[in-house]
Formats: sequence, structure tokens, C-alpha cells
Amino acid sequence: MKTRPPARADRFDSALGFTAQRGPVARLIQIVLYVVLVAVFAGPLVALMVGAFSPVADPSRLTLWPETLTLDNFTAAFDRGVLRYLANSFIVVGLGLLLQILVSVSAAYALARHRFPGMRLVLLLILSTMMLPEEILAIPLSLVLADVPIVHVNLIGTLAGMIIPVAAWAFSILVMTEFMKEIPLELEEAARIDGAGDLRILWTIVLPLCRPALGVVGIFGFTMIWDQYMLPLLVAQDAGQFTLPLALRTLRTDEQAGLGVLLAASLLALLPSVIAFLALQRQFMKGLTAGAVKG
Amino acid sequence: MTDRIAPRGIGALLALALVAGGMAACGTDEPGQDAKAPLQIWIRKPPGSPTEQTAKDLAAKFTAASGVPTQVTALFEDFETKLQQAAAQKQLPDIVINDTAQLGSLVKQGLVREVDRAGLAGSGDLSPIAWDAAKGADGKHYAVPFSAQSFALFIRSDWREKVGAEAPTSWEELDKLAVQFTKEDPDGNGKADTYGYVIPGSTKRGYTSWYATSFLWSAGGDFLTGEPGKFTTAVNSPQAVEAVDHLKGQFCTDKTVVPGAITMETTQAHQVFESGKGGIYFTGPYNMARFDKALGKEKYEVVALPAGPGGKASSLAEGENVYLMAGSKNEDGQKKFAEYAVSTEGQTVGMAGDTAGNIVRLPVNSTVQLANVRQDARWQVFDEIYKTAGRYTPAVPDWTPFRQSSADAMNAIFADCASDTKATLDKLAETFTAELTKQEVKG
Amino acid sequence: MTTTRVAPARSGAPAPGAPARPSPRSKRRVAWTRRLLPWLFLLPALILFAVFKFVPMARAIEMSFHEVRPYLGDRWVGGENYSQVVTDEAFRDAIWHTIVLAVGQTGGSLAIGLLLALLLEGAARHLWFVRTAVFLPTVAAMAVVAEVWRVIYYPAPDGMLNNVLSWFGMGPSQFLNAEDTSLWSVMAVGIWRGAPYDMMIFIAGLAGVDRTLYEAAAADGAGPMRRFWHVTMPALRPVFAILFTLAAIRGLRVFTEIFLLTNGGPNGSTEVLMTLIYKLGLERNELGVAAAGSMVLLGATVVLTLAVQAFRRKDSR
Repeated sequence: MKTRPPARADRFDSALGFTAQRGPVARLIQIVLYVVLVAVFAGPLVALMVGAFSPVADPSRLTLWPETLTLDNFTAAFDRGVLRYLANSFIVVGLGLLLQILVSVSAAYALARHRFPGMRLVLLLILSTMMLPEEILAIPLSLVLADVPIVHVNLIGTLAGMIIPVAAWAFSILVMTEFMKEIPLELEEAARIDGAGDLRILWTIVLPLCRPALGVVGIFGFTMIWDQYMLPLLVAQDAGQFTLPLALRTLRTDEQAGLGVLLAASLLALLPSVIAFLALQRQFMKGLTAGAVKG
Repeated sequence: MTDRIAPRGIGALLALALVAGGMAACGTDEPGQDAKAPLQIWIRKPPGSPTEQTAKDLAAKFTAASGVPTQVTALFEDFETKLQQAAAQKQLPDIVINDTAQLGSLVKQGLVREVDRAGLAGSGDLSPIAWDAAKGADGKHYAVPFSAQSFALFIRSDWREKVGAEAPTSWEELDKLAVQFTKEDPDGNGKADTYGYVIPGSTKRGYTSWYATSFLWSAGGDFLTGEPGKFTTAVNSPQAVEAVDHLKGQFCTDKTVVPGAITMETTQAHQVFESGKGGIYFTGPYNMARFDKALGKEKYEVVALPAGPGGKASSLAEGENVYLMAGSKNEDGQKKFAEYAVSTEGQTVGMAGDTAGNIVRLPVNSTVQLANVRQDARWQVFDEIYKTAGRYTPAVPDWTPFRQSSADAMNAIFADCASDTKATLDKLAETFTAELTKQEVKG
Repeated sequence: MTTTRVAPARSGAPAPGAPARPSPRSKRRVAWTRRLLPWLFLLPALILFAVFKFVPMARAIEMSFHEVRPYLGDRWVGGENYSQVVTDEAFRDAIWHTIVLAVGQTGGSLAIGLLLALLLEGAARHLWFVRTAVFLPTVAAMAVVAEVWRVIYYPAPDGMLNNVLSWFGMGPSQFLNAEDTSLWSVMAVGIWRGAPYDMMIFIAGLAGVDRTLYEAAAADGAGPMRRFWHVTMPALRPVFAILFTLAAIRGLRVFTEIFLLTNGGPNGSTEVLMTLIYKLGLERNELGVAAAGSMVLLGATVVLTLAVQAFRRKDSR
């Protein structure tokens, strides 16, 4: 693989070639713009999160510097067993995401790189799984979980019950499919002539070219599994199997807890998502470049 | 030829789905009784909270006394979903400790057993009002009362002293105090950022209606009148209209209600009160522990709601029941647990002294002396209110639709100051009548 | 090996399944495996969906015709559940609010998301930071987002946003608490949360654009705007496909924002289909009614999805 000439990489790093403009005025406008964006999108959240460190949250204003700092809310959150919920969440998201990506890539490969009768119907069926509110499916789903058809396994009370059902997610299949469709056929055909099988083509040619899509699927899959509420609720038999979102919902309505404790727990819940996001962003930036396409 | 494969595959999948769905729906067997079978006890309290610990203590003491093993599960949010799930799997817990308001729904779904009030040891000691909350629409009892609570005004006493007012004894004084809290800068920060009433006015879970209930009753109004089984709508009576108009006046004329009240849930209302935005909050005793911590015990007082125009003071009464669930393998154990839970000893354990871990708010057993268990005199206020002014919502098979539709109507009235209160309540009355007919309790 | 360029727009419809010159002897075997192969790749997903989605969905269809009583056994009620939802007086308003919100939120998120993606695309270190900051609303728990916006919308004259409005001589507004502003206020929250979401998918799409195309276009004298229309937009085809499909599916399901911010109030001004379903079915423990409402929703969503797909196919020709 050849790389692009570094001197020109910068100029066309982005669609509009913004990074190329180096004039002082352009720079200033850029900085102002970034500050505004950060203030609008992150500012309010960060300011609210500061409430996690203050004894009483004021519902009428946001502040970056609370008058008194305290860790009481975190202590209270830990007393409620938040650390255990965090651990459960990590196990579920780790294994769940791995399975989900494998399943999505495999299904997307079939839908994007093959033509077969019934394809459209399959896609519609897959999409239809996103169309019903999960509250409606809750009770029927719990029956399935208690006695999985054909194999007759009871998944209630096991972390597997929270992991296996999230392995198939229509959103990531859709994203992978649409991105895979864009990969030029010539590469694949060439490999096929060389005698490569489907699995090898998928692994060595298609997947490396799908890194931006993998980034999207990774990030959104992570958040999706991390935020799962109904499924863990149905699977958990007692608080020992709770995941973080279950604890958050309880804290939100718990009269004794108060907003500060909720914010403290939310902050703990937010951090892993942010870290995952930082880690997976790399995928977006090393996408399909001219060099990468060269066999 | 190839065209046929796919549809057949899909068809097979769908068939599989239908068959499996159908299979899951059937199959139940009569449980054989076993007096030593462990009791599964579910309580609607936050897991990890002090209340969960109290429930465990109660169960442990019961086991020590009776020899029946127990296992306590505390669940809070979506407790009902978990219960539905257990019902669908035909694996209900043996005991559920939950709101009195759930009775109708549990009875309708056949999830609870009937309770023989006379056959229950110590049933005579329990307050008759509390027994009412365990009564189904058919007049039979489907639960054993366990805990009760009433509501009272939480008033910022420091603010009240600042504006030089006495504790209110009538609605006029109360409204006047609210105006003073709004206009006279009781927190002394030089800004007009304080208000009188804190009201959870969101339609969620029918909060608007829930809040207004005590005011409606205290003004001599009613949702429904008549006997269980034969109800008539009263929500558009002149007294009811006057009561609702009175509350509307706080929103629209006096403007003494905190901003955002119209979409506020209780959790948000608590914050508004404890952060010093509003000075008058009509709520329950469960908030005392929280406000003592966030605000300080000395900054607020607990006062009974005064009687309204032409009415007598009333307070919505609520509480928790012990439900004996259907399909238990140990019906004898269920009964024993209920008997223990309402006994002097069980109630005392549940009250958990002055701590935040109480699962019995006010005891339902008249042999329990509140003052002996709790030092905090404010509990006496709630107890007094419960005994003299406490009233449960009407014993229709399911109160939820009534609470919901009245919350929607009142929310509309408070939100739109140009609205016609009488006309809106007339329409609500029609909805009520239709719902009474549907629930087959129209008189 | 030869250098291939990414075609900006998909040229025609190549047949991906076409076998590449197979030897005559193995032709038949290849034909069979090729036919079976896609199903093998789809198998894991289909099994999982069948068990954990289609089985419950089939049961939901069944529930919509019954009074659901998990313990006593269901009772057949025919179309009664459906008529209860459809004849509710809030139904028509709810449909209208749903459409307004769906269109406004998806349109707004799409436009702002694209703008954000164009501004924040790139590998520079500071961009990583800005992107992460902008992405926060999407990963924060909705309960927290709702709290944030209740503070921003605090409807007193000295409330946060009212303060900002007063600089421009506007306001104070009641935002969520008045009938004429509540729907727009909810929509703004939806866009605030949805735009970064769309941004990420756009950025992934932009990352897939062949850089040499920009260079070539620039060499031909095309300015940023022309590059955008002729190189960038065509390359974003998969992104638009994803986002329009998602919009069709999710747009009609708007719920959580409203549930946490207004619960349909004040005076029903933000009532949408899902809050109505919640109110008529779930809150009253009438799963049959909730299921019937969901089927109405499902039907509308399927129609909309098919329309989007058909539109896309027509468009790509």
C-alpha cells in the first residue's frame, strides 16, 4: 500500500478544504465557531454535571463553579451499588458489541455484495424489528427469554440474556449494508479470480474499506447496548444483575436520592461512552483514501 | 426456480414465529401446598436503599418467629412490568408490598387472592379506614393494609417569619402567604426569583389530579359520589368548579406558582422546593428526610391543609398493602406473613424509628403508639391528618383512567388562563360517566 | 494491480452476485453455493431476529385483538382495541403533532448534522476535541438531557434562554409550559440531540470520499461549493440512504423526549402517537390497547419506509 504524498494530504483533508485556509481572519472565525459549538452542545451538559459535585442542584440556572464542592453524591451513588451495576454494564457491552459487529458485518455482506431473490423483503423484515415500541414487546419477549424456542434454555437471570438478543441490531446492519454497497466491485472480482473465497474477500478486502462504517457501528452499537433498559429489566432477577441504566431510572424517581446522586451516576455512565467515542473516532479518519484503494 | 426459495424461507420463519408465540401462551398447573415453602416477597422500594434493608429485617424477623423461609426482592421503577412478566411466566411472588392504588388492577387481572378479614389474627386492631383501601369494587377484601400516609403543607418557616406572617389557618391566609412569598423577596437576595406554591402539574401519572384531590375535597367538591358499585359523577358540581377555579387563580391571577409547574413532575418539584424557589409545597411525609438534609430541618414546618370555602379539611390518603398473590405454594405462610406484618411488632420494625428506612409510614395498627417509636413530632401531624381528614380515592374497579382524564382536564385549565373551567369540567364529567359505565359501576 | 477510483455516484446497477468466469465443470456447484451463500451470511441475524423479535411481534399482533390478562388468559375483543385508539379525541391531534415533529426533527437534525460534519471533518487534534464535545448530547442519558433543557427553558424572566432572548429584545417565553411554544421547544431538544448523531454518520461518509477526486476537481478550477455539489454530495449517497430510512422508522416513534419533558402537555399540545399509546394502554395496564396502537404505528411506518425505498430507487436511476 502506498500512502498519499504528505505535503498535499492536508489540503484536501476535508470535503470543503477548510484546513487549508491559514489566514489569520479565517483562523479567528474558525476558533469562534468551535467555541460556539462546544458551548452550545457540550456546555449545558457539563454545567449540569457540575451539579454532581454540589449539595443542592439549582433547577433555574446552570453554573460551571458550584459554591460548595462535595463528593457526597458519589458516595451515595456508590452506596446504592453503582459500581456493581457498572461492572455488569461493562460485561454486557463488551461481549454484546463484539457479537453485534460480527452479526452485522456478516448480514450486511450478504445484503450488499450479493443479489438474491427475496433480498428486499429480508431488508424490510430486518427494518421492521425497529418499528415496534419495546414496551409492547416486553412481556412476549420475557416469555421467549424464559424458554428460548427449540433449544429450551432459560436466559432469565443470566447476563447472556442481556447479551445474545442485542447481537442483532437492524441499525448497524443497515449502516454496514449501505456503506458496503459503495465499495467498488473490481477489487472483489480481482480477488475472486485469484481464487479467494467469500470469507477471505470479506476479511481482507471489504472490511478494511469499511472502517468508517465500522466506526459508526461501533460507536452507536456501544451506546445502544450501554443504554439498554427494557431487556436488562426483563432479564434481571434482582438488583445484583442490574445494569447502569436500570439504576439510573430508579435513582431518577427515588425520593431519597435527589438530583445530585442521579447526576453523579449519570456522569459515571457517560464516561465510558465518551472514552469509546474517542477511541473509535480513529476509524473515521482513516477511511477510504486514494492510497488504500490501490491493491 | 430461484425465486421460490426466498419466500418459502420467510414463510417458514413466520410460521416458526407464530407457533412459538402460540406455544408460550398456554400451560398452568395447580400448585400443591407446602407450609415450609419459602416465600418470595417483592416490595416496591429502590434497591440498595435503606428501605430495602428494613424490608429484609422485617422478613428475617418473620422467619425467626414462624420458621417460614423468605426471600426479599426490592424493585422500584417498572415494578408493574416485572409483575406482569412474573404473571405471564406463571411465577408470581407469594407476597407483594405495593401501593394501595394497584389493588384494582391486580384484582382485575386475577393476580391476588381474596383475604378473609375476620379470619386474620389481629385484624380488629387495624384501622377501619385502612381496611377500606384493601377493599375491591365488589366489597370484598383483596389485601391487608400495611402502611398509610396523608399529605400536608410544607412551608418555609424562615420565609414566613421574614414576611411577618402567621401559619395559615384558612385558604385566604394561605394564598396571601403565597403572594407575600412571591413579592416580598423572602430569601432576601434582592431578586424577584421566589414564588409561593410548588405544584407538580404534569399530566404524568396523573400528578395534576393527584395534587388537586385534597384541595377539591377540602372545598367540598368531589370526583364521584355514591356507594361502591353505584357511583355518580360530581366533578362538575359548583363546589368542584370553585375548587378548580381557586387553583387556577393561583396560576393565572395571583401568579404565585413556580415557573414550569405545568410540566413539572414530583421529582422536579422536590428540587424546586429544596433549592428555595418556592415556599409552599403540599406533599407527603416521605420527603422530610430528604428536605431535612438538603434544606435543613429548621427552615420549614409541616402544617395541615386548612379547610376550604364551605368544606372541611381533607387530605388524600394513600398507603401500601400486603397483597397475597395467586398461585402460591404456601398459602398458610402468606397469611402468617400478613399477620406478622400488621402486628405491633411487625409495624414497629417497618416504621424504622426516625430513620429514612421506614417502609411503614404511618402504622395501620391502632395498638402501635407513634410517639413511642418516633421522636420526630412532625409525624404526629401526618398521623392526626390521616385520622381526622384522611380519605382514599373512590373504590371503583380501576381509578387510573379517572385520575388520568382529570389530570388532563385540570392541566388544560391551568395551562390556558382563558379556558372555561365549567365547560372543561362538564366535558370531564361526560368522560367520567362513560368510564363508570365501562367499569360497570354507574349508579 | 491497477488503480481504481471510487465512482462518485453508483454507475448503473452492477450485479454483485455475478460469478467471475467459472470453469464449466464446477459451474453447477458454484451456482448452488452462490445461491445459498447469502443466506448463510444472513443466518445469524435472521435466527436472532426470529427468536427475539419476530416471535414477540407475532404475539403483539395477537395481543392487539385481545384483552390481555397474563394470568387469567386473554379474552378476544376483535377490533375494539383499535377503535379505542383511533376514536380517541386526541388521536387526530396526536397524528398531526407526530408528523410535525418527525419532519421538523429529522429535517433539522439532517441539515445541522451535515453542516457540523463539514465543519468538523478532519484529522487535526483540536477537531477530535470539538467533535467529542459536540457528540456529548447523543451519549448522555435522556433523563439528564431532559433536566438540562428544563433548566435552559426555565420559564421565569431571568431563566437562561429567556435571558439570551432579552438581549435581542425578545421574550420572555414560557417554552415548554405554553401551548403555542411547547411543540417547538420539544423539537429543538430533538434536533440538539439528533444533529450530532447524524453528524457522525455524515463524517463516516465523508471519510469514504476519495481525496484524489477533490484534487482533480480543484485542478479543474472548481471552488469549494462546486466541489461540494459534484464530489461530496454524490459520495454521501449511502449516508442519505441510511438517514432517510432511519427517519421513516424513528420519526413516527418520537417518545422519550416528550415523555420526559412534557408528557403530552400542556393541554395536549405535545401529544404524539406514542404518548397516546402510553396513556391509553401502558399506563392503564391495558396491553391489548397499547398493542393495537403500536400496530397502527407499525402500519404507518411500513408504508413510509416503502415509500422512502421506492423514492430512493427512482432517484438513483
